[in-house]
Order: sequence, then structure tokens, then C-alpha cells
Amino acid sequence: MSNGNRAFISLQDLQRNFDEVKSGLTPAEARDESNRCLYCYDAPCIQACPTGINIPSFIKKIASGNLKGSARTIMESNPVGASCARVCPTEELCEGACVLNDSTKPIMIGDLQRYATDWAIKNEQTLFKAGEKNGLKVAVIGGGPAGLSSARELALLGYEVTIFEAKEKAGGLNTYGIVSFRLPQKVSLWEVQQVEKLGVKIKTNTMIGRDIQPEEILANYDAVVLAVGMSKVPMLRIDGEDLVGVHDAIQFVEETKTKELSEAYIGKRVAVIGAGNTAIDAATCSVRLGAENVKILYRRTQEEMTAYDFEFEFAKQDNVEFRWLTAPKRIIGDEKGHVKQLECIRMQLGEPGADGRRGPAPIEGSEFLLEVDVVIKAIGQTRFTDLIESFGLEHQWGTVKVNLETYQTSNEKVFAAGDVIFGDGQGEAMVVTAAQQGKKTAYAIHQALKNSIIETA
Amino acid sequence: MSASQEYFEEKEKIDFLFYRGFRVTRVTENLDGAAVEFERTGAAGQEKEVLHLQTADARKYFSSILFHQQRNLTPAE
Amino acid sequence: MADLRINLAGIESPNPYWLASAPPTNSGYQVQRAFEAGWGGAVWKTLGEPIINTTARFAAVGFNGKKVAGFNNIELITDRPLEVNLKEIYETKKRFPNHAIIASLMVEPNREKWHEIVKRVEDVGVDGLELNFGCPHGMAERGMGAASGQQPDLVEAQTMWVKEAAKTPVIVKLTPNITDITVTARAAVQGGADAISMINTINSLAGVDIDTWNTIPHVAGKGAHGGYCGPAVKPIALNMVAECARNPHINVPISGIGGISAWRDAVEFMLMGAGGVQVCTAAMHHGFSIVEDMIDGLSNYLDEKGISSVQEIIGKSVERYSDWGNLDLNYRIVARINNDVCINCNKCHIACEDTSHQCIDMLTDPNGQKYLEVREDDCVGCNLCSIVCPEDGAIDMIELPQEQPPMTWNERQAVLAGYKDNEREAAK
Ligand SMILES: Cc1cc2nc3c(=O)[nH]c(=O)nc-3n(C[C@H](O)[C@H](O)[C@H](O)COP(=O)(O)OP(=O)(O)OC[C@H]3O[C@@H](n4cnc5c(N)ncnc54)[C@H](O)[C@@H]3O)c2cc1C
Ligand SMILES: Cc1cc2nc3c(=O)[nH]c(=O)nc-3n(C[C@H](O)[C@H](O)[C@H](O)COP(=O)(O)O)c2cc1C
Ligand code: SF4
Ligand code: SF4
Ligand code: SF4
Repeated sequence: MSNGNRAFISLQDLQRNFDEVKSGLTPAEARDESNRCLYCYDAPCIQACPTGINIPSFIKKIASGNLKGSARTIMESNPVGASCARVCPTEELCEGACVLNDSTKPIMIGDLQRYATDWAIKNEQTLFKAGEKNGLKVAVIGGGPAGLSSARELALLGYEVTIFEAKEKAGGLNTYGIVSFRLPQKVSLWEVQQVEKLGVKIKTNTMIGRDIQPEEILANYDAVVLAVGMSKVPMLRIDGEDLVGVHDAIQFVEETKTKELSEAYIGKRVAVIGAGNTAIDAATCSVRLGAENVKILYRRTQEEMTAYDFEFEFAKQDNVEFRWLTAPKRIIGDEKGHVKQLECIRMQLGEPGADGRRGPAPIEGSEFLLEVDVVIKAIGQTRFTDLIESFGLEHQWGTVKVNLETYQTSNEKVFAAGDVIFGDGQGEAMVVTAAQQGKKTAYAIHQALKNSIIETA
Repeated sequence: MSASQEYFEEKEKIDFLFYRGFRVTRVTENLDGAAVEFERTGAAGQEKEVLHLQTADARKYFSSILFHQQRNLTPAE
Repeated sequence: MADLRINLAGIESPNPYWLASAPPTNSGYQVQRAFEAGWGGAVWKTLGEPIINTTARFAAVGFNGKKVAGFNNIELITDRPLEVNLKEIYETKKRFPNHAIIASLMVEPNREKWHEIVKRVEDVGVDGLELNFGCPHGMAERGMGAASGQQPDLVEAQTMWVKEAAKTPVIVKLTPNITDITVTARAAVQGGADAISMINTINSLAGVDIDTWNTIPHVAGKGAHGGYCGPAVKPIALNMVAECARNPHINVPISGIGGISAWRDAVEFMLMGAGGVQVCTAAMHHGFSIVEDMIDGLSNYLDEKGISSVQEIIGKSVERYSDWGNLDLNYRIVARINNDVCINCNKCHIACEDTSHQCIDMLTDPNGQKYLEVREDDCVGCNLCSIVCPEDGAIDMIELPQEQPPMTWNERQAVLAGYKDNEREAAK
């Protein structure tokens, strides 16, 4: 495959490839676009935003030059609104619902949202004040979008909140999992800082189940929010998985966000297995690390692919090749134990299964070999089943069961939000739904504990 | 000729007269601009010059000079 | 957060935003919704003998794709019985005791009629009265509204009659359909007005339909002049407020009205002397919820500036507004083009070349790159190029060091008088 279209990838300065791809709106663009919004009443864009951001209001505030108010309107409804401005599949959400789809073209809501939040980041604004302390304590386990949102709302309601976060920094996948050229780490860390400014304690490098036991948490807090997300990519269960050059997509992306960029991929041939957003991110990361050829192998077809359209388009622009109806069978190594080839088999689709997607089946004898140097696994994420069980929570295959009104688990003191309650067959998990569920756990906790506040007061 | 050039030429004439010790004695402003009369009493007796100032900047310029001369003479300043 | 409360001639409200007397304040239902949305006060739709309206009442004047640059109406005052309005005012005030409700009034120029209506509205507990001497159509044909507002003696007399009966503050709302608004403003002050408000609408015809040859709007094929308001009238209103604010004989608070659509407009009116503002068209265009940004934006603006109360900004720009004769003739600005920002549309060049002072040159650099340059010596600093320039930051108007110390036109004329024959004669 030719490298002709990839002139923008620099092999000299890899870091440049990881700068945010899309530039923000200029003030003139923001002025024009914000003035184009109709300021609809009972606007469908608001309904389509899982966190219910008052979109006409924040856009009007951009138009009127009240950028602080605009950022506050956004962040009020969505504590990770700056990240969402970049990673939400807006064409399926707010922009897809904009009334102007029926007359001209939809308002660029995501870009305007980024414009206002970028202003707040740049001008180091503090947007909220914590509520008066009500004497109750909540532990939030996991500092990703769900945990941060829950903590933010609880702090506004006056709770003393502690977030326990296994990693060095909070922010979850926004900080570690979504590629820098779509979501720079500093955006996610600003959101973390906004939550910290409300007096929320964030204990990083603290993994529950390892450093602190669930019993201790349950004993010391009035309520617990479980927002640990999901874990590693599962094993493919094929030969050769332990060869040098086989990677977990999430760890692979994380390294590009935390370490100096490796030059080991320059000129390499990469095969990514899976076709969700994680696969796409791993593939575009590989391109930006200088890989010569990057293929995505998926055992079903484009129809069943769960990646968002904008992600798919993005990968195509990066010259990522897609091989549909292709499954890996065996990874073959060279004498030094390095990946050398990938044996694949062609698939065909059968009848739709329980989840409505058509199941793939191998075509006998269709095996073929691909010459590759790197294999990246991106076939979903495993669950923190042990942790969930150590809290004694009911679950199904590691998905915590909750009451969808209250996000309460089988333990009435424990609430759960985000990817940890995200079930199979629901498409792709989203930051914005995690944020909304986080907010809801806070309201449910408040609902449940309100009376004891009055008692203690 | 550019407007500024016209002004510079008129200004030069004003400056030159002031430099040679002329004083403004009379100003007539009409539809065609300003006629500014200058006089000095020197070795050659009473001398008189008239400038027809056409540019707005020159009409502003000479009046500025008169205004500030007067200011500086007023003891109250 | 800054304190947004105002006190205008004794009328207090939680923020400076009042709905102007117009359709948005037609009923208790509407005013209560407005207060819920955050409006600080409302001037009730003008009360008087109930009228009959036409259908087809409004028309908008669009500009370059914006539908409501200006707004035109031929609506009259309230068409509902006084009794009904009073009952709703009473209920609304009871529900919102801290919000300002002002009754707008209009009756014939007759002392007894004014006394009667003043007494009836004050009995239900309004916070103030606003006399509508401004409605330019319909009512004016009947000798009320602008018709009486254009005659200083009638303004004074009617204000006086109202003051004889009124216990609450009296605001006189002035018509802009007059050459010098300070004349009627002074008449109001002489009549005892506690405050003045301006502007009511400006005589207008929104348009003519070039296919049917009907007026816009038309009522069964006929039209009549209406009143103009909305963003387009803001500069006219702002000047009128400023002229009154800087007039030493008009020393009463001013309620600013006309084209206020966002918090910045309100700040401008208040800097120019308004003690509070009233809004009609913007609410009609977008609904009551726009007040949320008006409040939030104003509050953030004040916080940003470290100002603790909105009342501190009232009139802060008034002393900077003066007569042309007091402007410094020796102040000098010129245009400067930033070629790294410029997008080479050449609009500045042609504007200057065709319609100003021919001082923006179109040049080509040694690399064949086109660029523009201002001959600063010839630039008169008119601002036109920077006005037509589509690109923020491409043209800066730069202050030059003054070659001559300041001198105003008035100062110039005073000094030249000593050199002019005719004036020397006159002085003798
Ligand atoms: C590569 C990739 C790309 C994505 N792209 C998008 C996208 O473009 N748009 C979009 O909307 N969504 C995207 N997603 C999905 C989105 O990132 C998730 O849905 C979202 O982050 C879920 O939030 P969360 O808070 O539930 O979990 P997470 O973000 O996973 O956060 C969980 C946090 O809990 C911590 N934790 C885990 N276990 C423990 C423990 N035992 N003790 C303490 N802390 C613990 C983790 O370290 C982590 O910080 C993407 C996901 C991936 C993997
Ligand atoms: C439809 C309409 C009806 C109005 N009716 C009245 C009225 O009854 N009494 C009055 O004092 N002003 C009336 N006005 C004038 C407004 O109160 C206000 O002075 C004017 O619209 C300027 O403000 P704006 O630019 O914010 O609209 C009316 C205006 C409109 C548009
Ligand atoms: S639907 Fe579109 S036009 Fe209407 S408020 Fe939302 S973004 Fe604006
Ligand atoms: S807004 Fe439309 S529907 Fe409502 S009264 Fe006016 S013309 Fe009728
Ligand atoms: S109008 Fe502005 S953008 Fe256009 S050529 Fe002039 S300076 Fe450049």
C-alpha cells in the first residue's frame, strides 16, 4: 500500500503526530456558528444529550460573549463536558437531533462546546462551589467519567467525598485510554482538577481489593459508588499470544499517553483485531507511530462494527485497511520469539443471534497467512469480576446489576455507574452515558440519605 | 499629488514664515479655505505675506499653533 | 457574585431587567411566567380605555438573513377591561412581592381621567406608574400617546395631574418621534416626573410587497405607519438616553429602552446613564428565558471587573459624551493592516479607494505575494476599512503620538475670533 496520502505523518517527530488533530473554532467561526443556532424552545438537541446540557443556552452565551457562563452551563450538566466535546458521537446525539438537519445543516454543537470549555481551561476558571457540608461521607471507587461525575454532584450536595483511584492520575479512560490526538490528557486532567477544587479527595495509586479491602470501605462510608469501568482486553485463546509483538490495545494506547513515544513501530506491519473504537484508536495510534501498514481484522462485516462512524472515517483517512469477515487463527513467531505471521481464516455470517447481530462462522479450508510484525488485540474488555464479587454484588458475566432508576446494586449501600454496568450487545460504551449515570447515583444517594442528614443535623 | 503631500507643502510654508519671525495678523475663512495674513517688522520695514491654505490639516495646523501660543501667554496656565 | 439589585426612583427590583409595556406583559399569566424565568420587573401592557386591534399587527425587517433586525407594529394599548388587568396585577404582585410591577397608563389629556386611573391602579398595589406618551400610531390619531408626548406643555401638564394623585413613583415614557428629546424630557421633569423612560417606538413602514404592492404589514390591502423597535433602533435609543443623562436640567433617573437584546446592551445603556433597562422585542423573538444569559452575563462581567453592585456602573460613561465642538482635533489614529492575518479580500482597499481617502495601496512583494499597505500620512483615521474588514485583527486602528497638543473646534474658533475682521468688529 502506498504511503502517498500520509504525508502528514512525521517519522522524525512522532510527538507531532499525537497533537490534537482537529483545531478548535476561531472566534469568528464561533461567532458565526453560535449566531446560527435558533435558540429553540424545548429543543430536541437537549433531549438527545444523555446529560441534558442546555445547548441553546450555552450557545446563546457564546454569542453574547458570556463564555464563562457558557462553560458553566455545559459543565453544570456534564462534569466531563470538555472531554465530551471531543469524543461524543455527536452526529448520533445532539447534532443528529438538531432541527436544522431538516433545513440547512446542523449546528456544530460539539465544536462550540469545545470552544467554550477551551476558554475556561485557558483562563483557569473555577466554575462551581461546593455545597455546605452535610456530615455524610461517600466513597467513590474509580476516578473515570462516572466516578468524577458522581463525586462532583455529591460535593455540590455537601457530601464529603473520597475517590479511590488505582492509577497515578484520575480521569479513567479519558486520561489513559482515548488517544491524545482526539483527547489530549490535559483536558481530562482539568476536569479532574475542577472536581478536586470542590474539596473531593482523590486517593490515587490506591486499588480497592489490593490496597484497601471492600469491607473497610463499606464500614467507613455512608454510601459507596462503584465506578471501576472495565479491565484489560481478553485473551484471543489462540497459539502465539505470548510472542513478542502481541499487545493489548488499551495498554498500547495507554503507553502513548504516558511514556515517551516508542520508535519501534516505524516501518512495521500491524494487524489490529476487533472493530470497536478501541481497535480504531489502536490502529490510528500505530499509523502515528510510523507503522507502514495497518490492517483491522474483523470477523463480521462493516454492518456489525460497533465503532462510531466518525471513528471509522477517521481510520480510513489514516489509510487503515479494513479486512472484514476475517478471524485470527494462530500467531506465528520467528526463531527469536517475535511475531512473524498471522494465520487467518475467512468467515461467513449466519442467522441473527440473541443480540440481533448475525453470528460469524469460519469457512473450512479458507486459511491464509498475513506477514505482520505486530498484533494488537482489541476484542472488548474483561470485567473486574473478582472485585465485584468481593463486594458481594449480583452481576451477570461481570456486569453489575442495578436498579435502572436508582443505580442501586444488590447491596443497598452500593451504587454503580459507567462501564461497570455496561452490558454486552449494547453497542459501544460512551463517556457521556457514564457521566450521566454518575450524576444519577449522586441524586439517588441523596434521595436515600436525605433523611439521615436531617437526623444528624 | 497625495493629500498629505499637499499638506506638507502648506505646512512648510507656514513653518518657514514663523521661522522667519512672521506673526499672524488676520485670518479670513471662506468657501475656499483660509487666507492667513502674516506680518513682521524687520530691517526692511513692515513685511506682509498671505497664505491661502486649502488643506484641512494645514488649517488645523496653523490654528493649533495660534491656540497654543495664546495658551502659553496666558498667565493662568 | 455581584449585587444586581437596582433602585430606580424608589422602585426596587432584584435585577435591572424589566419587560417593557407591550405584548409580553399583556396578562398575569405572562408576567408571572416572566418572573419565574428571572425578569426583575414588568411594565404592564398600557392600561386605558380598552381598544380594538386589527389583525396583522407586526412585521419584521430582516437584514442579510437575520429575520429580526428591526420590528414594526401597529398594535394599540390593552384591549382588556381595566378591572381584569387590575385583578391580575394584584395576584401577580402577591405572588412576587419583590419584583417590580409598574402600570403603564394612557388616557385622554384630561385631569379627571388621569386622577381616576391613577387611583384605581394604585389601589391594587403597583410599585410605580409609567405614563405612555409615546405610542406613535392609532392612539396618536386620537390625541393620546405620541400626539400628546410631542407637545412639551401637554407632557408637563399631564405629568403634573398624575403627580397630584399619585403616591408611587411616576415614570414618563417619551416618544422618539421628536427632534430634540431633551425638550420633552425637561417638560416631564418640570411636571414633577420621578423618572423618565425612553424610547417608545419610532414611526415606520416596514416595507412594501413588490408583487402585490401592498404595504407590510397590510390590513385588508391597506396599511398605516407603525412603530419601529428591536436591535436596529438601539443606537437611536442609546443616544437619546445619553443626551438626557448629560443634560444638567434633567436630573431624574432614566429607564433605558430600545433594542436591548443581550447583557452587553444593558451594560451600555447603564454606562450611559440608565438606572435600569426595559426589553420588548428580544423577549418576543426568543421567549422569556433569554433573561437567564442577560443576568448571568452581567453578573460575570461585574465579577470580572471587580464591581460589587450593578448600580456602580450607572452613568460611568456619561462624562465622556459631549458636543462635537469639544472633541480634540489633534487626536490622530490611522489604520494599520496586519498582513499575516489579512485574507486579501481587498474590501478595505476598495472601500478606501472608492469612498474614502485613497490611501490603501495594493502591492506585490518580491515573491509575488500580494499585500496591502496603508499610506499612513494620507489616512484620515475614519475607521471605514476596519469596519468593512471581515477578519478580526486584520486591521488595527493605531493611535499616533500627537504632533500638536489637544485643541477642540470650540477652542480653535475662540482663538481665531481675535484674528477675524468680522468678529473683531462684532466684539467692538
Ligand atoms: C480506546 C477507547 C476509545 C474510546 N473512545 C470513546 C469515544 O470516542 N467516545 C466515547 O464516548 N467513549 C469512548 N470510549 C468509551 C469510554 O472511554 C468509556 O465508556 C468511559 O470511559 C467509561 O467511564 P467509567 O468511568 O465507567 O470507566 P473508566 O473510564 O474505565 O474509569 C474507571 C476508573 O476506575 C479505576 N479503577 C479500576 N479498578 C479500580 C479499583 N479496583 N480501585 C480503584 N480504582 C479502580 C480505573 O483506573 C479508572 O480510572 C472509548 C473507550 C476506549 C477503551
Ligand atoms: C407589539 C408592540 C406593542 C407595544 N405596545 C406598547 C404599549 O402598549 N405601551 C408602551 O408604552 N409601549 C409599547 N410598545 C413599545 C415597547 O414598550 C418598547 O418601548 C419598544 O418596543 C422598544 O423596545 P425594544 O426595542 O426592546 O422592543 C410596544 C412595542 C411592540 C413591539
Ligand atoms: S436544535 Fe439546533 S438550532 Fe435548535 S437549539 Fe438545538 S442546536 Fe440550536
Ligand atoms: S404567534 Fe402565530 S399562532 Fe400565535 S397569535 Fe400570533 S399569528 Fe397566531
Ligand atoms: S478588508 Fe481585511 S482581510 Fe480584506 S484585504 Fe483588507 S485587511 Fe485584508
